[in-house]
Amino acid sequence: MWFLLRRVLVSLVVLLGISLVVFLMLNLISDSPGRAALGQQASQAAVDAFNREHGYDRPVLIQYVDYLLQLLRGDLGRSYKLNEEVGTLLLQNAPRSAMLSLAGLVLALVIAIPLGILQAVRRGRFIDRAATSISYLLYATPSFLIALVLIGIFSQTIPLFPAEASQSSSPWVVFTDPRSMALPLITLAITNVVVFAQYQRSAALEQLGMDYIRVARAKGASERIVLTRHLLRNAITPIITLVGVLIPTLLAGNLIVEAVFNYPGLGLLFLNSLHREDYPVLLAYTLIGGALTVIGNLVADLVVARADRRIELGR
Amino acid sequence: MLTIRDLSVEITHGDRIVRPVTGVDLELHRGETLGIVGETGSGKSMTGLAVMGMLPGGGRVVSGSIDFDGTELVGLGDAAYRRIRGNDISMVFQDSMTSLNPTRSVGDQVAEPLQLHRGMSLRAARRSAAEMLALVGIPRPQERMGDFPHQLSGGMRQRVMIAMALICEPRVLIADEPTTALDVTIQAEILELLGELKQQLGMAMILVTHDMGVVVRHADRVGVMYGGRLVETGRTADLFRSTRHQYTHALLASIPTLAQDKDVELFSIPGSPPDPADPQIGCRFAPRCAAATERCRTETPRPVAGPGEGHLFACWNPVDERQATREVRRFDASGIASSETDAQRVRLSVVDLRKEHPVSAKGVFGRRRSVKAVAGVSFEVRAGEAFGLVGESGCGKSSLGRMLVALDAPTSGEVLLDGDRVSGLSPRRLGSRRAKLQMMFQDSHASLDPKMRIDAILCEPMVIQGIGTAEERAERARALLAGVGLGASILERYPHELSGGQRQRIGLARALALDPDVLVADEPVSALDVSIRSQVLNLMRGIQRERGLSSVVISHDLAVVRYLVDRVGVMYLGALVEVGATDEVYTRPAHPYTAGLLAAVPVADPDLADTPVDRVHGELPSPLDPPSGCRFRTRCPLATDLCARVEPVLEDVGDDHAVACHFPLQPKLRETTTAEALTAGEAR
Repeated sequence: MWFLLRRVLVSLVVLLGISLVVFLMLNLISDSPGRAALGQQASQAAVDAFNREHGYDRPVLIQYVDYLLQLLRGDLGRSYKLNEEVGTLLLQNAPRSAMLSLAGLVLALVIAIPLGILQAVRRGRFIDRAATSISYLLYATPSFLIALVLIGIFSQTIPLFPAEASQSSSPWVVFTDPRSMALPLITLAITNVVVFAQYQRSAALEQLGMDYIRVARAKGASERIVLTRHLLRNAITPIITLVGVLIPTLLAGNLIVEAVFNYPGLGLLFLNSLHREDYPVLLAYTLIGGALTVIGNLVADLVVARADRRIELGR
Repeated sequence: MLTIRDLSVEITHGDRIVRPVTGVDLELHRGETLGIVGETGSGKSMTGLAVMGMLPGGGRVVSGSIDFDGTELVGLGDAAYRRIRGNDISMVFQDSMTSLNPTRSVGDQVAEPLQLHRGMSLRAARRSAAEMLALVGIPRPQERMGDFPHQLSGGMRQRVMIAMALICEPRVLIADEPTTALDVTIQAEILELLGELKQQLGMAMILVTHDMGVVVRHADRVGVMYGGRLVETGRTADLFRSTRHQYTHALLASIPTLAQDKDVELFSIPGSPPDPADPQIGCRFAPRCAAATERCRTETPRPVAGPGEGHLFACWNPVDERQATREVRRFDASGIASSETDAQRVRLSVVDLRKEHPVSAKGVFGRRRSVKAVAGVSFEVRAGEAFGLVGESGCGKSSLGRMLVALDAPTSGEVLLDGDRVSGLSPRRLGSRRAKLQMMFQDSHASLDPKMRIDAILCEPMVIQGIGTAEERAERARALLAGVGLGASILERYPHELSGGQRQRIGLARALALDPDVLVADEPVSALDVSIRSQVLNLMRGIQRERGLSSVVISHDLAVVRYLVDRVGVMYLGALVEVGATDEVYTRPAHPYTAGLLAAVPVADPDLADTPVDRVHGELPSPLDPPSGCRFRTRCPLATDLCARVEPVLEDVGDDHAVACHFPLQPKLRETTTAEALTAGEAR
């Protein structure tokens, strides 16, 4: 319990740091919020008036404190380009991204964990070597290229799936319209499987050499029981940690997948905001990324401690 | 019950073929214990694994048969073998820390064989598991069921392992080094437990071990293995009383005993055990055997009957009566360097040394607690003297050793070298004085940098201290190697290319490179096999004598300490409970703990095997909360109320013999009254 409180407090400090750095950086690169909001055609007087009106002429630190207070009220700011509250924009897009990430992650784990264990059990055999080689090849391939190749094969050559993701605003589209979501999902899964499977393979290899595996066999357990009842739980902890660390990266992974397949999620919103120099949206997106990193790590630590009782939290 | 005929095992690694077991014949009868002894790589464990049908990857039985009560196990199908494993034939492994699944509760792990073999529900299996845990002597088994392995002590974990192996009441139990990772006091308890359970369940047992003392006391019959072959087998008493094979004879002679004459060099077998990948022609022991002839090198000896019933040995030139009384080699007394006056000088003194490791507090405002690894130890080591520290694991002897050579800073107290403080100084201020204090480590594999050649390893201390030119250092490295009995060709090799015994010699040579005044050796031989161990022990004993070096030898092995040191200190839970001249302490122990430790040491003598021993029972309390008063009182048969209230101080019970006990086994020189003890205890 104390551990949790301490970690949450530390996390808040980390988030505060992230927000400060991001705020200052965005402030440095943007010429002025007024210019960004009103466009290049607006007169200097109008820009100055806008800045004065919205408090953008004050010192940066005061603006930052102001922004923090605004955050505390749950107000993420306003996008002048889209004339919409940033909070509303994020809420519209976040569930769709989250569902895509989650489905991609689950799909990747369902494939990678058995594959990694199979590779470990068949170490050095054909299946292991083939899987490792393919993993390295795919690992080195940028995900947009994987996406384009998939489109080329499964949409152009063999018209199985559409090349564009569903434009529906429902977050459940992954399940309601699996055909249109197949290629984005497969792309996401592939990029994750290649990483997870290699981790799972080395973790399983390490555990297979342990004496307790030999003891389980000496009890008369079949290989299936040895693997599922004894090996799995011990070999899975590195994957849990990895997933925790990767949760925010999935957001970035979505950025490319969403852009390639034109899927209206957070990633696409971020990309468009970047083009539009829509700083309030960029700021909020980065903050959410930071928060997810912190939360992902915390959750991973809790789950690992639950799975492996030797780990005492707070030590 | 179990008949092994002409068993041979091969393991294929790529294009390398290893033959760990060749032509082994063994019989195990109902209700008996068969001991299989041998050194690392002798094939003893592989024989056990072959019976279990659990040879490592690439391994297979190439010839022979294993008949288990009418069932042929060689070539038995997977499913049929699984029905036997853990059910009719069970196995207990060496290291209980790694042999239990860290993420499952011990109750579930003990219950598992019942689910596998009897098709029991988890609930029913758990009920039986709790009963089994009670049977193996685990207190409050119901509460322990949900514990995870890391929450139990080593002794308790080994009991869990035994419960797991016995829950299906197997007819044969294979115990592979069941007590090697345990302290002597726990080892004795576990072995007795195994013996009792064997009787109770009416099973037969194969006890695989390297420890001759264990075999003598606990096995009915013994098989001695060397280089993958069974070299001698017979009833325990016959085999030990009328040993015929040259290897068995040499092995028994090279074990230091508690009654070892310290002026006599330990017998040692030259060379090292054979590589199982080498071609096997002739007797495997011939290259190391003093009695070997041409015939031994070309013709493989067939087993012949010895004097006793079922006594067989495979040796062309067996031990006869004349050889049994072997020639003794005494250390050259004239080589002792220290003069009479020098010997009186105190070289190293330890004053009320303490080391506490803080443990994270419970909650934010919880009291900070600390493990008191060393709790106020004082002793002196004179010039040219060898001092020993003995005790069970966790008694703080290694923590103390690290502070002696200034690798760790004490929490309080000090270490003085020739009257100057060396503890708690910054490395810069310690400077060249560090050269006078050197350490030899237990695990030579981990303490030698694998990426450094031997010459670099030996020269590094001199480079750091800025001694000599490159040529002078190289010259000294060669001299050091010669001093530890190794040739100069080793200089260009890397640590992994050397054998364990050679590496430990390098560790010793490195510690001697700076010509130290004090050498601290932490478990110098405990990682080595018996035949190699005596080589290193003789070397250390010789060097101590020649150089007039002061040394501190830390070991859990009482016989090793007895052989190497002049004075000894017995540690218990961070405190020194008895200190004195070695012979005095070993022959007239004054502290009940010392007496119990000595009694627990297994002795390789069949005449003593049946004498009952009064050893220490129970487990070491946590150093987080040491018992009040005397630390040993929770395990002491003599403890009274006084022991709980007053911590005893060291008092003389003889010339150079002191003990910290209210009721010593030897009379105190000056009798203290209870009142005096109380005030003395309170003054502390």
